[in-house]
Amino acid sequence: MKKVININFQGRILPIEEVAYENLKQYIESLRTYFEQEEGKDEIINDIECRVAELCEDRLKKDAVCITEEDINLIVASIGRPADFEAQDGFEANTSHHSSAGDSFTNTTENTSTGVKRLYRDEQNKVLGGVCAGIANYLQLDPLLVRILWILLFGISFLAYLLLWIAVPSSSVKEVGGIRKRLFRDIDHKVIGGVCAGLSKYFGVKVIIIRLLFLIPSIAVTFNWNHFHLFQFWDFDDFPNFIGMTFFGPGALFIYIVLWLVLPEARTSADKLEMIGEKVDINSIKNTIQTDMEGFGKRAQAWGSSFDKKQTSNVNDANNHTMSQNKGCMYYFGRTFTIVLKAFVYFILGIITISILAALFGIGVATTSLLPLKKFILEDGLQTWAFIGSILFFIWVPVVAIVASIVRKLAGYKKANIWVRSSFIALWTLGWICLFYFGSSLGHSFSKHNQPEEEQVQLSNAKLDYLELTATPKMKYYEDKWFQITPFNNYGDEDTLFVRNLRVRIVQSKTDSFEIKVVKLSNGKTVQEAKTLANNINFNFTQQDSVLYLDRGIGISTKNKFRNQHIIMTIAVPVGKRFLISNKGWSQTNVSIGGRGMRSETIDRITDDNDWYDEWNEPWDSESFSYEQGVEYKMTTAGLEKIRRVNGKEDEDDEEDADDIEQKLQKLKEERLQLEQDLEKSKSEKVEKAAEERKDKKVTAPVKGELSTVKSVASKFADIQWVLDRFSY
Amino acid sequence: MWDKEIIMDIQNTQSQMRKGVLEFCILSIIQKGEVYPSDIVEQMKAANLHILEGTLYPLLTRLKNAGLLNYRWVESVSGPPRKYFVMTEEGKEAYNVLHKTWNEMAIAVETIISPKVNPIVNEAEVAL
Repeated sequence: MKKVININFQGRILPIEEVAYENLKQYIESLRTYFEQEEGKDEIINDIECRVAELCEDRLKKDAVCITEEDINLIVASIGRPADFEAQDGFEANTSHHSSAGDSFTNTTENTSTGVKRLYRDEQNKVLGGVCAGIANYLQLDPLLVRILWILLFGISFLAYLLLWIAVPSSSVKEVGGIRKRLFRDIDHKVIGGVCAGLSKYFGVKVIIIRLLFLIPSIAVTFNWNHFHLFQFWDFDDFPNFIGMTFFGPGALFIYIVLWLVLPEARTSADKLEMIGEKVDINSIKNTIQTDMEGFGKRAQAWGSSFDKKQTSNVNDANNHTMSQNKGCMYYFGRTFTIVLKAFVYFILGIITISILAALFGIGVATTSLLPLKKFILEDGLQTWAFIGSILFFIWVPVVAIVASIVRKLAGYKKANIWVRSSFIALWTLGWICLFYFGSSLGHSFSKHNQPEEEQVQLSNAKLDYLELTATPKMKYYEDKWFQITPFNNYGDEDTLFVRNLRVRIVQSKTDSFEIKVVKLSNGKTVQEAKTLANNINFNFTQQDSVLYLDRGIGISTKNKFRNQHIIMTIAVPVGKRFLISNKGWSQTNVSIGGRGMRSETIDRITDDNDWYDEWNEPWDSESFSYEQGVEYKMTTAGLEKIRRVNGKEDEDDEEDADDIEQKLQKLKEERLQLEQDLEKSKSEKVEKAAEERKDKKVTAPVKGELSTVKSVASKFADIQWVLDRFSY
Repeated sequence: MWDKEIIMDIQNTQSQMRKGVLEFCILSIIQKGEVYPSDIVEQMKAANLHILEGTLYPLLTRLKNAGLLNYRWVESVSGPPRKYFVMTEEGKEAYNVLHKTWNEMAIAVETIISPKVNPIVNEAEVAL
């Protein structure tokens, strides 16, 4: 009993056995492969299809009920298979001989003798799978060179190698019903999913080698081989290494899961034969055909089913154009246009897919590596689980799904079955739910503000002339931005990490002394919680003479979780006094000069506190004033005035203004002149006094005094001379 | 009795010889009038020259693209119209050149492979 189907083939309705149809499809496909490089291949194939259809019809006219497998075999034999073309060595080589005249590269392999260049795995010169040798042959390079380049790029290319091994045909020419090897999961010899066993069968390698390849990453973790940094370009020394980060080696795990999902399991005995590469009876793939036929309608509509569609549409969809007389020009124009349009659409879709994949992968890696930080932000219980759930299901599940479908496409497997697809969709839906719950619950955790309360920081000597604000020495601060977290590993204690949400505000003091006020703010689930968290902020200032050292940051621990704790520091500078915020130790601080340091919605919520609000909104004339780091400022009644730039290094080679030096020089010259005059004066006095002494020998005591002044003046003069020399070199 | 390589060489030579001739033969058939590809195969087979349709179609397409051939859709009694091939003026010229070459070749080859030198043939060659 054989199933007969009706196909519309080149304008003819043909009843055909399902097996025969499958044979025909494969035959057309083999022709397509063979004429791949041929100019006008579509026309050639179309002609041959027409001829096949005609022969089929002849057959039906001779009272055949339907086209049988035998009929197809006869027809195919009369027209010839690609292998026969090569054997006849007729016209195929004839023209290519013209095009590549003097082509003395007539290699012994069959594929080069056709003259058409194609990428094959070179089975003769293989080391592993023949991919390198094939590429070398194709590019006419030394295989050794290709292998060396390949090994240099080993990290990335291992996966690509496997893909090409599976996807690129071997140098034996494809034949209808010939020996086909397919990758299956070997469930008879499985340990987990049978992926390793299936791979070993496919490649003819011992199972243990494949298993080791998968296990090496996890062994690497055990020995702490973390020196291979995949993300070295990220500016984190201690960024968790993705490849060897967790207990199992996610890289290998990832590949394993993808293969597990992609590969069908070898269920039937035919599958098992195919898995090893034995010749398969045509009947044994009946099941595949059946599912193919049933799923065709769906697949045609499904996204990205281009390849399948292309194969079958040429056989199945009879082009209505054939009926019309003027088929030629319009038909090919239309067809070319469709192909170009299709190619364009798939190109766009491909780009979109790849970019979504890359983005998801990036987010996935970033969030996964932030997992150790979750205890500092997330509440225990449901929120944490929702976070993990959204990473796993919202990000990684689609990544796996997309990679799996790409691999499927490349390897030419049929689409994932309905169970796999629906479980993907279910998991992703779960991911969405997790993400929504996580988002809303996290938003809720941050929803309330505490009421700001100002605290006065006690300065030991408030009437200083000059105040410098700087980081605690030898502490490494990271760029200060909202939500900037210092890598906690640097500090050795993993219980606390430090956040630097500090804003500095400069205002004019109403008194003659410096005043520093600090507002601690935090978010929280409730106002009460926010208040507690704000009170728990432990941010100290240490004063040493005129330098005020800031603490390393706001400590965040598992008890005091991160709820956008921040500190606003208001420094009131009296008129005529100077201050400096140095950039030692960090590159940026949020300094606002009398401006509004908080976001407006925050201000809206704290309007109850009128005094504070009024002061905060105090108008300032120089609103366009932009603060510069490492510059000393002086407070005047009109506003701030820049005095001098203080660099981190106090060397001679700092870029002090030329004007500055000029002024100093001028000043010193004046001083020198003054001293010279003084000297002259004292000299003359001395001479006078000496004369008087001679006259009046009684007066001796004052001369000694005079002499000492002369000496001191002279030494001062010498000093000045030295300084002058130094400046005017 | 022969080495594999020698067999390969002979096969290669055979195919080289056939290659040039087949194209000429096909042109010759088409030159006689409008023809359907499978008829070409039949005529060739009648002359004991075997060619697969699978290799014929690419050749026809190529000759058509080179401007030597043209085709015409001819309505058939049953089924869709069929593609018939005819020769263009250009093709006829090319065919004449090839024909002349073939005559020369045939005489030359015959002369060389004939067991004893035939003066009459020699004269004929000179006359050409």
